[in-house]
Amino acid sequence: MKVTLNWIKEFLDNYNQNTISPGDIANMLTMSGTEVKKIENTGSKYENIIIGKIVDFTKHPSADKLSLCKVDTGTRIASIVCGAKNFKKGDIVVTALPGAVVNGMTIKENKIRGQISEGMMCSEMELGLSSDSEGIMILDNSFRVGESFSKLAGLDDVVFELEVTPNRPDCLGVIGIAREISALTGIEFKIPEYDLDKRLNIDSNFIIEIEDYNLCPRYTAKIFENITNIQTPLWMRNRLLMCDIRSISLIVDLTNYIMLETGQPLHAFDKDLLHSNKIVVRRAKEGEKIKLIDDSMRILDNDILVIADEKKAVAIAGIMGGKDTEINPDTKNILLEAANFNGPSIMRTSKKIGLRSEASNRFEKKIDPLLTLYAVGRFEDVLNKITGYGIKGCIYDNYKKTERKRNIVLRTDRVVQILGKDIDKNTISRIFTGLKIENRIRDKEIDTIVPSWRYEDLEREIDLIEEIARIYGYDKFDSIPTTVTGRRGKYTGYQKVVREIRQSLCDTGLSEVINYSFYSNDTIKKFKLDLEKEYSDNVEIINPINENFRYLRTTLLPSLLKNVRENINHNIKDIGIFEISKIFKKRSDEDNDILPLEINKIGIILTGKRVQKSWNEEERDTDFYDLKGILEFIYDKYYSNSILKIEESDYKFFHPRINGSIRINGKKMGIIGKIHPLLVMEAEINQDVYYMELNLDDFVNNIRKGKKYKPITSFPAIDIDLAIVVDEEIKNDDIVNEIKKCGSSLLKNVRLFDIYRGPQIEKNKKSMAYSLNFREDSRTLKDIEVEIIVKRILENLGKKFNAKIRE
Amino acid sequence: MDDKEKIDDINKLIDSELINFTRELDNVKSLSELESIKTKYTGKKSFLTVTLRNIGSLPGQLRPIIGNKSNAARKKIEADILKKEQILKGVEYEKKLREENIDLSLPGRGIKAGKKNIISSVIEEIEEIFIGMGFEIAEGPEVETDYYNFEALNTPADHPARSLHDTFFVSDRVLLRTHTSPVQIRYMEKNKPPIFIIVPGKVYRRDYDVTHTPMFTQIEGLVVDKGINFGNLKWTIETFAYEIFGKKRKVRFRPHYFPFTEPSAEVDVSCNICGGKGCRSCSGSGWLEILGAGMVDPNLYKFVGYDPEEVSGFAFGMGIERICMLKYGIDDLRLFFENDLRFIDQF
Ligand SMILES: [Zn+2]
Repeated sequence: MKVTLNWIKEFLDNYNQNTISPGDIANMLTMSGTEVKKIENTGSKYENIIIGKIVDFTKHPSADKLSLCKVDTGTRIASIVCGAKNFKKGDIVVTALPGAVVNGMTIKENKIRGQISEGMMCSEMELGLSSDSEGIMILDNSFRVGESFSKLAGLDDVVFELEVTPNRPDCLGVIGIAREISALTGIEFKIPEYDLDKRLNIDSNFIIEIEDYNLCPRYTAKIFENITNIQTPLWMRNRLLMCDIRSISLIVDLTNYIMLETGQPLHAFDKDLLHSNKIVVRRAKEGEKIKLIDDSMRILDNDILVIADEKKAVAIAGIMGGKDTEINPDTKNILLEAANFNGPSIMRTSKKIGLRSEASNRFEKKIDPLLTLYAVGRFEDVLNKITGYGIKGCIYDNYKKTERKRNIVLRTDRVVQILGKDIDKNTISRIFTGLKIENRIRDKEIDTIVPSWRYEDLEREIDLIEEIARIYGYDKFDSIPTTVTGRRGKYTGYQKVVREIRQSLCDTGLSEVINYSFYSNDTIKKFKLDLEKEYSDNVEIINPINENFRYLRTTLLPSLLKNVRENINHNIKDIGIFEISKIFKKRSDEDNDILPLEINKIGIILTGKRVQKSWNEEERDTDFYDLKGILEFIYDKYYSNSILKIEESDYKFFHPRINGSIRINGKKMGIIGKIHPLLVMEAEINQDVYYMELNLDDFVNNIRKGKKYKPITSFPAIDIDLAIVVDEEIKNDDIVNEIKKCGSSLLKNVRLFDIYRGPQIEKNKKSMAYSLNFREDSRTLKDIEVEIIVKRILENLGKKFNAKIRE
Repeated sequence: MDDKEKIDDINKLIDSELINFTRELDNVKSLSELESIKTKYTGKKSFLTVTLRNIGSLPGQLRPIIGNKSNAARKKIEADILKKEQILKGVEYEKKLREENIDLSLPGRGIKAGKKNIISSVIEEIEEIFIGMGFEIAEGPEVETDYYNFEALNTPADHPARSLHDTFFVSDRVLLRTHTSPVQIRYMEKNKPPIFIIVPGKVYRRDYDVTHTPMFTQIEGLVVDKGINFGNLKWTIETFAYEIFGKKRKVRFRPHYFPFTEPSAEVDVSCNICGGKGCRSCSGSGWLEILGAGMVDPNLYKFVGYDPEEVSGFAFGMGIERICMLKYGIDDLRLFFENDLRFIDQF
């Protein structure tokens, strides 16, 4: 919201710019909760632009379209070449003298087609006042020649752009801001007072009917007849302009002006276009239509409150008026509306129809119903000053009075408890008085009565404490250390491990990405996630931004593959990235929990070269075992004496054979494989991509605690190398398990150190070479013992896998 | 020739042999030269060997004298050669090592370090600061009920503050949390004061443009105990701000409004670019907003069964992306979720 300093000053008695500068005001407002986002000195834009008078003009001797004007600038007669045609001798014009900046250009004395021009006469557009570029701006005779234009046009001002918090509807107007400044500075606040009560409902020529006082507690109206249709005075147009409101016509401008000033939205109907001498505030009929001032057609329903005449809706209450009854150039008689509507109801309607206005913004914050009458009086007053309309006639007011005074008791002890500082009772009382909160000090308490315009936001003792802190100044409170006795800051075990794993993954060369939790239905289909029990049951967003944000992820895979593609587009082809994020799954109905399942997952994706060609290294493409190596790296760190197994699986997004589930001690904890080449191709990636996803919650929660030291044995070990030839289909895991089974407790370790395929052995066979490590912790092993075991191992491998020892 | 003469002759010969040897040994530069000297003076044909071999032809009484002298000379020669050999070997070894020359400037065999996401790094940095002040880390669900996200935080259905949170809905009552604040309620329901927690996590708002992403990251803080006041809030936030932005920055508290704190504040740090004078980065104010905070509204305690007369507390919340932007001079919010490795690998 924007307000101007001159406007505010109208409501402050004896404000002296020399003692309190506009910057001081901005700072005080900011430091009391109404943040000033921007201060703009509008006057400075109009330096060297003055009021001139055309005393004479002739045709330019060498240019048909130009005129040579003699312009009285107050101190001398200037020669100015002008291209406009809309002036005559004696016209008062806006003259930019050398040094002035117009439209971003500095005016200089120069020659135009051989004739000296000592300035420029400006159009409204050139002055930034409107889009009117037709001819120069002609003013009336009230503008004194030689005076500064900005001063006479009300542009010599300072504009504050404010952020009013939603709890302060009373500050949504110039008067409210002036009241704040008064409380902050002690400068006397004064507003014109109107004695309107004796003119309330003195006739019944017009009737206001309110269907539901909950939705419309008050509707105040006044009829103005035979309005003089003159142009809005320049100062008012400019003031509206400075507050970002476009001038339309005197009546519309006045409704806006009074709204900006008082915070009370007003609407004017062309009275003659209403079908009755009656206004009904009612719920819209289902399917009822209305065309609004912004030319949009709206179909209404029963939840929407409308203003209607006897025939039809003429406005959506509190949001926007109807086109059919709007003020137009022929309007003679108007009906002015100053109403109070139920905030939440306006907010709902505004959301529903997707339309916010200056009015709805104010109503939804629950403005003071006492304001309506004042705004009507203020409108009448300003109108009278401009047109001489007079102060007269009935004010129609339908108001179901509610209590607007509230008593709150403030305990001074409580102030100390919350704020940590003992603020003197009299200081508190002074703060309250400044805020127009009536107060009376009693021993350790202060009785207060809050004013009507703060009725909604000052409800409780704590609200008063906030007012004290706010006006007293947050910067005046000391910083007080909290004591640490009896507590210790720490991560939980889970949190610690998750952070360690993140670091470990980085140490293996992976970088961490963070993706949005969403994906589209297309993605689900593309990755065939709906066909996998583990990855279906997506949580659906009912109001996504667009279809890409329709579902919450059940797997991190699609996002990571997208990251791969986008980085390849940036010519980064060798990629290893991971993400630690939650996935979401709908629960089954029996779970009796309306919230979905949330599981922390790690997704890791690898592609491109795992080893770059270097002066001392051959390049190597990433393969499955690079990814498995990363898995083993974090597994080894947390799982000792455990079994890690990759079980062949058939996930549809993986390659049919390079496709596994990760099991640790038998528990399924994730998946690992090569992404299906078709999926990769579809993503326009021309290299193999490997993916692994680990259930982080399961992984961390199943780590066995309580490691114990085992004494280090000094008895020597015996290492035996064993090479066997088996069929290609035989799996390493099976061989190792068999070796271990026969190896007895003496076999401490089995390590595969070579696989050979080639001319020295049969086709479709492979030679697997293992190093077996035997040891007895309590004595020196005898060779013969180990020989017996190895013999048994070989026999069993022969029986089970038809394995032959390789000679 | 008598014996004495004979002895003198031989002694002279032995002495000159020794002098020659010493002179030649001094000039020896390599082990191969040493080898030939060794042969010359101790070999089969060397003077001393020949002398000793022929000692039997000398008269009996001369034998021990000549024998001793020759043996002593030979021992000295052998010792000198050994000494020289050791010296030469050291030199040659050194020379050999010097020939094992590599280019130290060649790059090492690569161990690539990956990078933690800047958001994770900054979260961990903030966590450490607060752990140091005795805080613990709490977490909560990202999909929340209306009750925890709004209602229990003093923001009933018709509250005007709701229009500030454009919310993603899963159903009428279930939504994506718009802030980490619901964890305040969840944590208080399950725990008794003293409460000192921070809550990092993802939050969601239905907003997508240059300055808004539909998902972003917050850290929430909550302290509830007997005797916690506004001064404690100021101290905690100031301590945090100095830790993360440096001691030279100024910190200011401005009154603000949040439905679930009262009094409420927005906290700014002085702009590091202009030093507080006002520039484009701080839109002329000299200050950069970093977080929202306030004393916990006593109403909240009623939702979790605490006695608001007994305990008091404060809460605060900040956007991690914003902290990252201020700390590292990042000017585009969207970079955080584009996952461009040219961005991620910078931190
Ligand atoms: Zn700055």
